[in-house]
Amino acid sequence: MNNVISVKNLTKKYGSLIAVDRISFEVYKGEVFGLLGENGAGKTTTLEMIEGLRKPTSGEIKVLGFDAVHDIQHIKERIGVQLQSSAYYDYLKLREILDLFGSFYQKKLNPDDLFKMVGLESKADQYIKNLSGGQRQRFSIIASLINDPEIVFLDEPTTGLDPVARRNTWDIIAKIKEKGKTIILTTHYMEEAEILCDRIAIMEKGKIITIGKPHQLIEQAETPYKVEFVLEKDNQKTIDRLLNACEARDCDIKKLPGKTAHYEMHIKSQELLNKAITALQKENPESFTIGRATLEDLFIELTGKTIADEENGNV
Amino acid sequence: MYKMFLTNLKMMVRGRQALFWSLFFPMVFTIIFGFFFSGDTAGVGTIVLINQSNTELASSLEKAMGESNIFKIQKETDLGTAKDLLKKNKITAIIEIPADFGSPKLDSPKQIIVINDPANAQSNLAVTGFLDKYLTVVNYQIQKAQPIYSVKIETTTDTNLTYYDFVLVGLIGMALMNASIQGIAISMAKYRQDKILKRITTTPLRSWKFVFAEVSARLVQNLVQISLILIVGIYFFHAHIAGNIFLLIVFAMLGGLLFQSIGFAVASVATTVDAAQGMSIAVTIPMMFLAGVFFPIDQLPKWLFSIVQYLPLAPLLRMMRGIGLENISPFTNQINIIIVFAWIVVMLFVSIMRFRLADE
Repeated sequence: MNNVISVKNLTKKYGSLIAVDRISFEVYKGEVFGLLGENGAGKTTTLEMIEGLRKPTSGEIKVLGFDAVHDIQHIKERIGVQLQSSAYYDYLKLREILDLFGSFYQKKLNPDDLFKMVGLESKADQYIKNLSGGQRQRFSIIASLINDPEIVFLDEPTTGLDPVARRNTWDIIAKIKEKGKTIILTTHYMEEAEILCDRIAIMEKGKIITIGKPHQLIEQAETPYKVEFVLEKDNQKTIDRLLNACEARDCDIKKLPGKTAHYEMHIKSQELLNKAITALQKENPESFTIGRATLEDLFIELTGKTIADEENGNV
Repeated sequence: MYKMFLTNLKMMVRGRQALFWSLFFPMVFTIIFGFFFSGDTAGVGTIVLINQSNTELASSLEKAMGESNIFKIQKETDLGTAKDLLKKNKITAIIEIPADFGSPKLDSPKQIIVINDPANAQSNLAVTGFLDKYLTVVNYQIQKAQPIYSVKIETTTDTNLTYYDFVLVGLIGMALMNASIQGIAISMAKYRQDKILKRITTTPLRSWKFVFAEVSARLVQNLVQISLILIVGIYFFHAHIAGNIFLLIVFAMLGGLLFQSIGFAVASVATTVDAAQGMSIAVTIPMMFLAGVFFPIDQLPKWLFSIVQYLPLAPLLRMMRGIGLENISPFTNQINIIIVFAWIVVMLFVSIMRFRLADE
């Protein structure tokens, strides 16, 4: 598969703080690649080193075959960048902003096509202050497409948006992918990454702790099956019976915060899942849903272990 | 880069608040100073004359005062009314010529009474100076004596300069300073805060092109400022610009560059808009009052003068006044031009070393 980005042993240090710690990965042409992690995990720093905004302390970055430190001008012509919570000029209309940014590149798309793509035709001659949060974010994304880039970097494109605006943004990202662009996005919304990304890398404390296709990673998780149920009331005996049914060491039942008697059971195998369901039906729960573990479960499993190891002094 | 330049101009026009401070604010100063100090009265103001004497001496003094062009004369007969006007600051002094002043009678009064407000030191000096000089000449004539020693005054210009001429050039310097330092520092800090600078660095636009477009647009703004102040000063308040106006504008634009380089230096250390505002005010306010905008700084205490004469605005104003008011080449006193260029070099060095569009 054609790789468009290749990162090898990339490290970024700020004094004694290691923001990015010897990470390596590749991004393939036409895919949506997600960098996931908590705030401060090193996602944005990694992205900004690839975009040429920060200089790596060590390591190598190749973008479209060019070195990200020495050939950054060539790279900038062919990438589009949407920064995390970036604003635009207060006194320029949207069309003027796109015209201005378009003038920085050799190749430039028609702003009207871009406005149409995200449903902002009626706002083209408005100032940025007249846009809602979701509209601003949509504009910010099309501003990154003005040079018809081969790779688009989206840094937390849906942070702070309401559910409807977030889903609109997902549709836009899907449209960009359909045009054959490669997309790299960072997010801390696991659901978003699971839906949008062909591949993901989960970052924790500057390191990549896992990388791969979301569904494959989830399948490889220690407990890939999940049953969520609500009992009439909290009852430890019921929980004990369920744990026995699915062989306690191979499943895990957690009480979820908030709602009364709301539980989540994580199970290692299909066979145990069947046993657990049979046992649960006997307990007559108010509701239960059976499903696969999510990326969020995987993330908690992975990062939770790291934290536990640290606390136990096993690092 | 050309597009960036045009866009900057467009944003300057649309940014009403910035436009107010860069154009309207100095214009208000130009007009207010124009009303107070323009014309040939040299700022002495109106004097009430109460002439109670019918003698030839009193009449000739009254005539001389009227023709002096130092002050405007308003004739009154009642001292109470005149004092009331003085208390209300509607006049600057009262000159009372007592009855029989100038009469050959032995018991006739020999003194003219001047009633003034100590707050009007400059006007008081002008009034007493005029009267002293006039009466000295009269005394010589009565004693049939001829003065042996006298003063011959030569000025560097043939034009009759006024305080307004002096302050008009100062106002140009002040306008350039405020608009350039505050304009650059605050707008760059805002762009940085809003991540616009960072967004620009993700594009192929070179940093120097961004800065060049910004500087060029500001120079256009500077040119408009200078032209407006000169037009209002010269055409509405009859300011005298004896020298080459074109050269004056060229050196004023040099001042624009100087202050822009200071603006970038401030922007390189100010990380927020609030910090940029505070720092640029801290830089401009002392210069506004200590670098010779409103009064000649050689009147300051010697120790203070020895420091403030090197502030960036001070040598610039000396050069500009030399060119505009005295028609002196800016290269005559080279120290001024050396100080200005030294400031530009130092501030550019600081800006180049520290000002970055992105965080690193």
